[in-house]
Amino acid sequence: MNPVLGIAGYVLREAVARKFILAFVVGITLVLSVVALSLRIEVVDGALAASRLFGEELRASIRSVDVALRPVYTAAAFIVFYGGILFGIVACSDFAPSLLSPGRIEHLLALPIQRWHLLAGTFLGVMVLALGGTLYGTTGLVLIFGVKAGYWTAGPLIAGLMACVGFAAVYAVMLTTATLVRSAALCAASGFLFLIGGVIAGFRQQISPAFEEGLSRSTFEAVTLMLPRLSSLAVAAGNIASSTPLEVNSLGMLLLGVLVFGFGALAVGFWRFEGKDY
Amino acid sequence: MRKTYRRAFRKVGNEALRGMDLTVPEGSAFGLIGPNGAGKTTFIKSILGIVQPTEGTVRVLGGSPEDPRIRARIGYLPERLHLPGSWTPTAFLATVTRLKGLKPDAAADLRLLERVGLADAVGRKIGGYSKGMRQRLGLAAAMVGSPSLLILDEPTDGIDPMGRLEVRRILLEEVRKGTTLFLNSHLLAETERVCDRVAILADGRVVREGRLEDLARGEARWMVRFAPGVDAGALTAAGFKRGSADGVFHVEAQDPMALNAALDKARAGGALLVELRRDGADLESVLLGTVAPAGAVGVAA
Repeated sequence: MNPVLGIAGYVLREAVARKFILAFVVGITLVLSVVALSLRIEVVDGALAASRLFGEELRASIRSVDVALRPVYTAAAFIVFYGGILFGIVACSDFAPSLLSPGRIEHLLALPIQRWHLLAGTFLGVMVLALGGTLYGTTGLVLIFGVKAGYWTAGPLIAGLMACVGFAAVYAVMLTTATLVRSAALCAASGFLFLIGGVIAGFRQQISPAFEEGLSRSTFEAVTLMLPRLSSLAVAAGNIASSTPLEVNSLGMLLLGVLVFGFGALAVGFWRFEGKDY
Repeated sequence: MRKTYRRAFRKVGNEALRGMDLTVPEGSAFGLIGPNGAGKTTFIKSILGIVQPTEGTVRVLGGSPEDPRIRARIGYLPERLHLPGSWTPTAFLATVTRLKGLKPDAAADLRLLERVGLADAVGRKIGGYSKGMRQRLGLAAAMVGSPSLLILDEPTDGIDPMGRLEVRRILLEEVRKGTTLFLNSHLLAETERVCDRVAILADGRVVREGRLEDLARGEARWMVRFAPGVDAGALTAAGFKRGSADGVFHVEAQDPMALNAALDKARAGGALLVELRRDGADLESVLLGTVAPAGAVGVAA
């Protein structure tokens, strides 16, 4: 078996045993079940005629279903993006520090695997977990609205995948932090800081004038230039989920920037891990 | 080999190994002992490539410890093995088997668990295991794939006396099968019973190394016990020195001829020989005798 897959399996097995990850899956299932059971949508000739939530009528003008569902899918995309990344930061913060903990890392490093296998496997395991959770939630949402409203779209699924790309960059930073300090709290803190930095980077053009012209503004622009624009990615995910025109200029460049940053952060972590004594 | 741990913002690092030079013969049961902070754990980690030496090289089983093919032939039990509590022992061993690049073999894993005395706890989660049971599982994990070299750091830590006997039996079986055993244990009696060669580490250096019987041998000194009623004066005249117990004497003899000549003199004086043995020291005495002059007498290993 490929050692990377072996370590990924190790991480996933650990994750399955975590109660709060199981609780998260149960939580998603409950939310989807509640939406499925309490929401009634009546569609006439492709237009949303009436909708009821918990038996209460939701007042809205008659619109085509795809237009009516845009705010729902946009909100879902933002919840999946930011909520998912925030949950991922908390839930996955101790995977790497736990694998690198004294008594476990020595045992793993003594096995016939390369050091980079260990980090790559951990990264892969966490990403499989994130992808699984995201696809479970978004597929459920698409199925519910598809069945109830007869409107089928892959937008929320693609938005979910974009959230996973964003989380990949965040987790790359967290994993690299774990190679420097074996602390779940500091890993989570670095993830939060990076997420906030990524949100700010997305609004750098709007925020930049708030800084005094000169050194402070240049510093702000230089720092935010290095960070991937996570908030722009979230906006793009919302656009795709709701099938509205993209507000970002180039989604490809945006995704590439996030991925390059993530791989760069991982490369630093791999380099640090290769030369570290445990 | 030298190893200096560099600290951030400090010019001087911590020297854990200061010119360590050690060869472990293949197929031997080798014990590593020494006071706290002697560098034993750093040395073990160097053998496994977990710690990279600042100077010098490590050769294990004819190759570098950095080579996964070499590490595939090594079984390692760390001092404080941290096991995943939510797993069952079979799942853990299956994962270790896969990570060692071997095909999972549930029957072989069960046999290993049985061998280390965990047959009754196979269905339980590791989190519910006692410290001794975890050590046994760690030992089983080290033996996955029948490695050529077993490196065990405190293998009997937390194991009850009966369990220690079992572990000792397993280790001796492995040595008889041709496995090289490298043991670090603070239980000197354990090392004494299992190992045939010992190295004493102090201050990052090997201060003594050799066959256990050679290290423990008291030069040319013999302990002799005679039946009660012996004439102490005659024995003293024959070169014997009175010992601490009644009837016990010590004699210096460089070879069997000299020893027998001394005994003949004693018997000629009416002394009846009851017991004769080499005046050897136990491992603890050897350790204390070796490291005490440096003022480093502490808890061994």
